[in-house]
Amino acid sequence: MNQEDVVFHGRLGALYQLAKEGKIATTLQGSHTRPCKFWTAMKILSGIRGAVVIAHGPSGCAFGVKQAYKLTNSRNSGSPYESVLTTDMNMENIIFGGEKSLKGAIKEVDEKYHPDVIVVATSCAAGIIGDNVDSVVDKMRSSVAAELMPVHCEGFAGEYRSGFDLVFRQIVDFMDKPTPEMRQKLSKSVNIVGAKMGPERTEVDTDTKELTRLVTGIGAEINAVIAGHCSLEELKRAPSAAVNCALCLDLGYAIGKEMESRFKTPMNSSILPYGIAATEHWLREAAKHMGLDEQAEAFMKSEYQAIREEYEEARSFLAGKVALIEGHDAVKSLSVAHMVERDFGMRAIVYNFHPWSAEARETSIDYLLETGLDPEVLITKGTLALGKYESMKETEAEMLAFLGELDPMQTVYFGSSLAFPHIPLVDLNAILNRPRFGYRGALKVAQCIITSLKYAFRGRSSLARRMVFPQGAGFSTGASLTPKLAQDLPDCTVYASARRRGQCMMN
Amino acid sequence: MHDELKFDNCAHSSDPLVGCALEGVASVFAGIRGATVVIHSPQGCAATVAAAFDQHEVDFTKRKIACTRLFESDIVMGATRKLEDLIRQSDAKFGNPVLFVVGTCAADIIGEDLDGICRNLQPEIKGKLIPVTAGGFRGDAYAGIEMGLEALLPFVKKSETKIPNSVNLIAPHASVNPTWWADLDWIQGLLEGFGIKVVSRIVRDTTLAELDKAGEASANILLSHDAGYGFAKKFERLHGVPLILSDIPLPVGLGNTSRWLKALASHFNAEGLADFMITNGEEKVADILRRRALMMIPRYRNCRVAVSGDATFAISSLRMLFQELEMIPEAVLVRSKSKEARALLAKECADLGISPKIVFGADGYKIQQVLKDIPVDAVLGSAWETYMAKEEGIRIAFDAFTPTNRDVYVDRAYFGYDGMVNLLEIIGNDWERALRSRDIQWDLYEERRTVLPTKETERVGTAKIA
Repeated sequence: MNQEDVVFHGRLGALYQLAKEGKIATTLQGSHTRPCKFWTAMKILSGIRGAVVIAHGPSGCAFGVKQAYKLTNSRNSGSPYESVLTTDMNMENIIFGGEKSLKGAIKEVDEKYHPDVIVVATSCAAGIIGDNVDSVVDKMRSSVAAELMPVHCEGFAGEYRSGFDLVFRQIVDFMDKPTPEMRQKLSKSVNIVGAKMGPERTEVDTDTKELTRLVTGIGAEINAVIAGHCSLEELKRAPSAAVNCALCLDLGYAIGKEMESRFKTPMNSSILPYGIAATEHWLREAAKHMGLDEQAEAFMKSEYQAIREEYEEARSFLAGKVALIEGHDAVKSLSVAHMVERDFGMRAIVYNFHPWSAEARETSIDYLLETGLDPEVLITKGTLALGKYESMKETEAEMLAFLGELDPMQTVYFGSSLAFPHIPLVDLNAILNRPRFGYRGALKVAQCIITSLKYAFRGRSSLARRMVFPQGAGFSTGASLTPKLAQDLPDCTVYASARRRGQCMMN
Repeated sequence: MHDELKFDNCAHSSDPLVGCALEGVASVFAGIRGATVVIHSPQGCAATVAAAFDQHEVDFTKRKIACTRLFESDIVMGATRKLEDLIRQSDAKFGNPVLFVVGTCAADIIGEDLDGICRNLQPEIKGKLIPVTAGGFRGDAYAGIEMGLEALLPFVKKSETKIPNSVNLIAPHASVNPTWWADLDWIQGLLEGFGIKVVSRIVRDTTLAELDKAGEASANILLSHDAGYGFAKKFERLHGVPLILSDIPLPVGLGNTSRWLKALASHFNAEGLADFMITNGEEKVADILRRRALMMIPRYRNCRVAVSGDATFAISSLRMLFQELEMIPEAVLVRSKSKEARALLAKECADLGISPKIVFGADGYKIQQVLKDIPVDAVLGSAWETYMAKEEGIRIAFDAFTPTNRDVYVDRAYFGYDGMVNLLEIIGNDWERALRSRDIQWDLYEERRTVLPTKETERVGTAKIA
């Protein structure tokens, strides 16, 4: 390919170093808006049952997240209608302050909803005018039945993931100090941490369900999925669980470390359990804190045995082939790279891993590098251009130029079905490709690759191409998460447009 | 004759079903063809703007949106330079004829001088820069629509001469019909049938050329009871174009469609044609229902219903529900709260002789309370009301309004005669789904067969096995 189109081609470790030294721009362009800190904080808070959030700000902030997260919960999981309250800040509040209004709102919400917890989440407006939210909350504690918690998550106050980290750290405040009795009671229990949003789809074998099955398979129990529909009671006793296992290490790290430091609850750090190597690491680390090592080994053996024949056949077919992995979904792309290299013996190339992610996803990158995996990364110019880089002509042309150097019969593309490489494509977001975690997931992914190769002769749908690249379309911008998109994509934050219901972006 | 409900514990907190002013403003700009929107805000506000583009179904290949992504240092130090750079970049990259530069809460409060920035930068920018300060705290989405529409006024050229028999159609998008443009298309087709020219649609894929000529129209028609009144009045003052038909409900159901057509015809001296359209339209509806839904009215007769949506449909559908379907509207829950909508609803209730409970500015809590306290058999609303109804044990919810859980691929008008059939199709299907037996307790039949082995129970048992 044309070297002028290449921004970076090398190992992840080298990219990471360049980002740390400020030698590669890590700024996200103006067309690439992610949910703000308020939204990501709300996403975690939406996963706590019995909690009502008062968004201290104008109504739009509450309305936006409510449509995106709460309506989605109801639509896909049959959960009842959930409210998100707002103080509906107006011009008068902006000029004279909104503390009085907030005080009134806390009282009203306590009386109207009788929630276990009232969280006051600050929006930009409240943050800029300097309402003393902490003081209002402190003064109201004795006047209401609910537990109160202020969360300072103004949209401007940090990058999007800072909202996840902030709330994950802060909800540790709800937790009770472990007692010997409770520790004993939960000595065979696990918290899955780093999950987000409410109840998951009920009819599909999702990844969280697979992890739950694996945990119970070794003889343990799940105390709570934090914060995926967990109750205040589950949160309170969470520190007494034997171990915290991260669903997504990147997001689970903040709460895991906080609980470790405050309550000495051990943390099982591992990358997303894609593939057998990562799954076994995940399970062994969990088991050792519960004295279930033998059971875990026996269970892992039986799990492997159940897939062995098909899996080994698949693996021998895949060894030596190349996987080009779309890097837009940073943590997932690194986890998939880990799986295809460690488990399938393939060569992984992470394509268009935005340098911004090198900064934003430090935890996962550190882990990967520590384990000795340092995948190849290719970043082309289109990734850094103003526009929608996952599905735009510029990156498409660059990818095709790069693929020109690879054997199409030996290469697969892990990415969105909205891209059109001339090599077989594996879209792990597709609902039928779940679960992706664990042994069953490893086999499923391997089979997906083989199916793609087998049907490579079909080519891609011309209808799909016309949908993504209509004639005469110019540069378009990256779409933000909208209620419509959230409804289509129930359980994870997504940024790309036009993905349909049931697909998941594990950001 | 109506009874507007009052609620305790709602003075300082609400559970909003309507977005903020920014969403309203953006929903106007999203309807302008070839518009770039540069948002001066933290990145979360881009989701609100994107939701407005969703409302127009502008697909991802046509969205030209950029955001300055303000962070803490920008709030403290100001971000003029950042905005200027993004405007330059967007102008060069997207090449659109107009760039709306929108300041949201953060930019609004810290006092970013959008007017000054745009004025200074304009000479080097190819597109026309339109600065709009749209802090979400300036009102709800309906207030935002008024703000956005007002920002379009400078595009309208003064014209002393008017095109006879011509109109502008205003605020069609302030509507809870999930495919509201079908209503707009129905109205436009109808007007063409009357020989009335549509000068501009403000807004739906509107060109700047359309806006330029909007002052030449001889009348304005508002297609919403929720927003656009302020704009229409200002338009009338500035351009001498009168607002017509604003004192009657929009054409939903037979009665209101007939009324609306007659009023239109009276304004444009085309009564004969209106009578012809009404006769044909009503016959069409009756014919379809006779063949496909003969039991529709017997089925719904005296069904106590709550209607929850915007003023446009909550008010306009009352006559159809009460007089044509023989339902009893027990509650009317309206998300907006304009004085014009209040007056219109009062007039409509008086005319129909009904006195439902009324809520303006309805939020989630108020709707829940009404559904809890006022006994109804069914709710006509959106997905929100469907979930609330389920919780309150109301079995029948007609999911017709935005946001809906219905996947709608083919555009469906709710206005006019076909529109009425479209609405009835939703009502009919949701009624069926609600009452269809899905949870037959076969074990009870089994038990009965064992205990009472009559011929009848034997048949039931056989059916189960089959």
